[in-house]
Amino acid sequence: METKVGVFFCNCGGAIKNIDFDAALREVARLPGVISVNLDSSLCLEEGKERMVSSIRDEKMERVVVAGCSPLLKEHIFQGILEKAGLNKHLLSMANIREQCSWVHDGDVTAKAVDLVRMAINRVLLLQPVETKETAVSKEVLVAGSGFAALNVALQLSHLGLRTTVMEEGPVLRAGSEEPAAVYGVDASSIIAEVEANENVEVLTSARVMTLEGKVGGFGVRIKKAGKETFRRYGAIVLATGHRTEIVNPGAEAGASVVSQKAFTDILRNSSLEREPRTVGFILDFSDENSRFPTLATLNSALAAKKKWGSEIYVFYKSVKVDSEGVERLYQQARDSGVVFVKSETAPKIGVEDGRVKVEGRDVFAGEDLVLACDVLVAEELYLPAEGTETFSSLLNVRTDPKGFWQDDNVHLYPVGSEKKGIFFVGGCRGDLDPGRMLADISGVAMNIGELLSAGKVAADFERVKADPQKCVACLTCIRVCPHGAIQLVRVESSKDVAQISDLACDACGVCAAVCPAKAIAFQGYRDEEILAQIEAIKRS
Amino acid sequence: MIIAERKPIEEIRLMMAPYKKILVAGCGTCVTVCWVGGEKEVGILASELRLARGAEGRELVTLEATVDRQCEKEMLAELRDKISDVEAVVSLACGAGVQTMAELFEDKPVFPAVNTTFIGMPEGEGLWVEMCGACGDCFLDRTGGICPVVRCAKGLLNGPCGGTRRGGKCEIDAEKDCAWVLIYRRLERQGRLDLMREYRAPKNYRAVKRPGRVQAAKA
Amino acid sequence: MNGKIVAFCCENSAYPAADLAGKLGLHYSENLRIIRVPCAGRVDVIHILKALENGAAGVLVLGCEEGACRHITGNTRAKERVEYSSMLLREINLDGRVVAMFNLSPNAPHKFVKAVNDIGNITAEPGR
Repeated sequence: METKVGVFFCNCGGAIKNIDFDAALREVARLPGVISVNLDSSLCLEEGKERMVSSIRDEKMERVVVAGCSPLLKEHIFQGILEKAGLNKHLLSMANIREQCSWVHDGDVTAKAVDLVRMAINRVLLLQPVETKETAVSKEVLVAGSGFAALNVALQLSHLGLRTTVMEEGPVLRAGSEEPAAVYGVDASSIIAEVEANENVEVLTSARVMTLEGKVGGFGVRIKKAGKETFRRYGAIVLATGHRTEIVNPGAEAGASVVSQKAFTDILRNSSLEREPRTVGFILDFSDENSRFPTLATLNSALAAKKKWGSEIYVFYKSVKVDSEGVERLYQQARDSGVVFVKSETAPKIGVEDGRVKVEGRDVFAGEDLVLACDVLVAEELYLPAEGTETFSSLLNVRTDPKGFWQDDNVHLYPVGSEKKGIFFVGGCRGDLDPGRMLADISGVAMNIGELLSAGKVAADFERVKADPQKCVACLTCIRVCPHGAIQLVRVESSKDVAQISDLACDACGVCAAVCPAKAIAFQGYRDEEILAQIEAIKRS
Repeated sequence: MIIAERKPIEEIRLMMAPYKKILVAGCGTCVTVCWVGGEKEVGILASELRLARGAEGRELVTLEATVDRQCEKEMLAELRDKISDVEAVVSLACGAGVQTMAELFEDKPVFPAVNTTFIGMPEGEGLWVEMCGACGDCFLDRTGGICPVVRCAKGLLNGPCGGTRRGGKCEIDAEKDCAWVLIYRRLERQGRLDLMREYRAPKNYRAVKRPGRVQAAKA
Repeated sequence: MNGKIVAFCCENSAYPAADLAGKLGLHYSENLRIIRVPCAGRVDVIHILKALENGAAGVLVLGCEEGACRHITGNTRAKERVEYSSMLLREINLDGRVVAMFNLSPNAPHKFVKAVNDIGNITAEPGR
């Protein structure tokens, strides 16, 4: 018995002018499978929608084709109509006869419109229903790292009712101790106490991730602590592995008077200094364009030094990155307080003379060479991913960008998401950020995870993309190739392994279906036959 | 597993030049895994052959089928009807599959569409490397699991040859790792370096009388 | 389907770009037939060859700009397959240029129109 297809044309309130709808309907009505053709002027509005639901029900349609505007605009509306009329929402195919036909050609385009409808009908005849199923998910979240960002996101998650494990490789939490959060203008003083007092946040120090398996909603993590391994399940993972800085080598002879930003903040805090530095120099932004954090550190430290010692302060820079919130104001403050900014094209030369650090640079604006003798020089620093990020990346199979930071510059991914659903990034490990954006990211991640896990279950298409166990030869190609890490090898009978695609982790791209050498993967809606049917429907003129 | 690579299309076209109706037959085991002869490649080859014929203005009808293993007569049996309907068969299986097909369907010419090359494993995406030469006299136990017969350019049993390049590369092929360096490092790691001092007598390369024949104990 | 061009359009880039071309009233050949795919990486060699077997004069595969594929490697895989298809065509003495890959962002309708025009020019060359 032939599948019953109903076709709905919409002329979009008269916006489609160059199609002879009468002729189109007549021709489409003759096509195999078509039991009903309808013309409407506003299918997506309330009355149009109701007419459509009634027609589907009354005429007992089994598949529906809508010919009108772009599916990217209204597909979800029509899917809703199918559901309301008692049909699975995947049994719909749309023909774009407006944006991709009527609006881009002159003259009568009826023939092309009918062609597009024919393609949609051929496809719709092959479409299979796809059910939605709910999967239980773990409401626990693993946060890898213990800097300010890590603790902040853990607290926010706990406020959303999710238990969080903060995992730190070292013996103590980094926030506020190792990490100079204050230098970046971030107040980390109370956060450790807050975390320790919070019942929903578990803290594991001297702990490492040994293996990661599974998918979003149920990541299986093997954690090693004090020689013992435990297996835990988490619904989502937040990577807050931080960054490190490296002094750009100024020259060996300069010695102990050339310091890092962190060392300088220690000097600032040291009230028992022998002699306060009269002149302080900073080097900024010559080797690495990613200098938002170093800029912030420089401005904060320069102002602090000015305030505390009243020293003469010179900043040699190529650019001062003021595009973060509040930084331009900070820069102005620094200048107003007397900090001198010297713009140079190339990094100044650093040496020693009479026991003081000698800095030789060329002032671009004055057009003059400048020689500075200072008591302390804060060297230029590179902003780099934390040690071990590379290894961790291989362990988790999550990509890093060319500089080794977590987030690729990919506009389609969330600002804070990775290519793997359920794995997020916050903080310095994301690369060139500033505190304002970092805090926004942290909230973003907490919200995303909250949405995902709070209900304890997630609805997803059930087996929309599936590897047929009969045809799968376990060649491992799809598993290796899936950009979202959504496929794993699973034992189905006593010795047969096949590829299994996780409904939650799958992002429905179809790359697996294309690579499978055994044609074992069926991607409902975009199976080979569904694509080829459209090709074959195109009329030879 | 067995690794094969696709033949130049010209060779295949010459083979099937006189025929108008053929079966393009794939194999669901080794050649599927190495991306050369599974259902996907069958479809692509058949399409290419049809396009080529069409451009010549001549006719070609293709049937397509892929069985689990072409080297099993029972599995080929399901192709009987299709075979009787065609003039010739183009098989994307390894040599064993092609010959089994040819033996079962003696009246129809069976043509090989791939070149069977070696026994190997995947090293990277789409890259397979030779591991085993099927010499019939395996001594991998004494070389830390690395075969010098296949992976040493000179097939030395008591290597290295002394010509190893800097970085542990082969004297003959600078792109290749010296197999004996690999063997040394593996044995070192396992604390079995004493094996390096062991003398291995010349190999019996006729351990397998060709064509090989193995009788397993009765089931 | 003589003279038709089949364009596989990824729904993250080319499909919205084509829609935008419509909204802006840009024009291109009526011979174009767009097939929507979730990612250019879904398009395989067999789809390209079958389009040609069905009489298409040319085949376009359109995906996101390099480095901007939502599915990371979809567009690069599509490009490799398009190149492989061209090679197969040249192998059998057909014109490999009738199959082409284009990268564009969803807000680049002019790029979409250019791609359609470019392949149209190639397929319209005399003696084809």
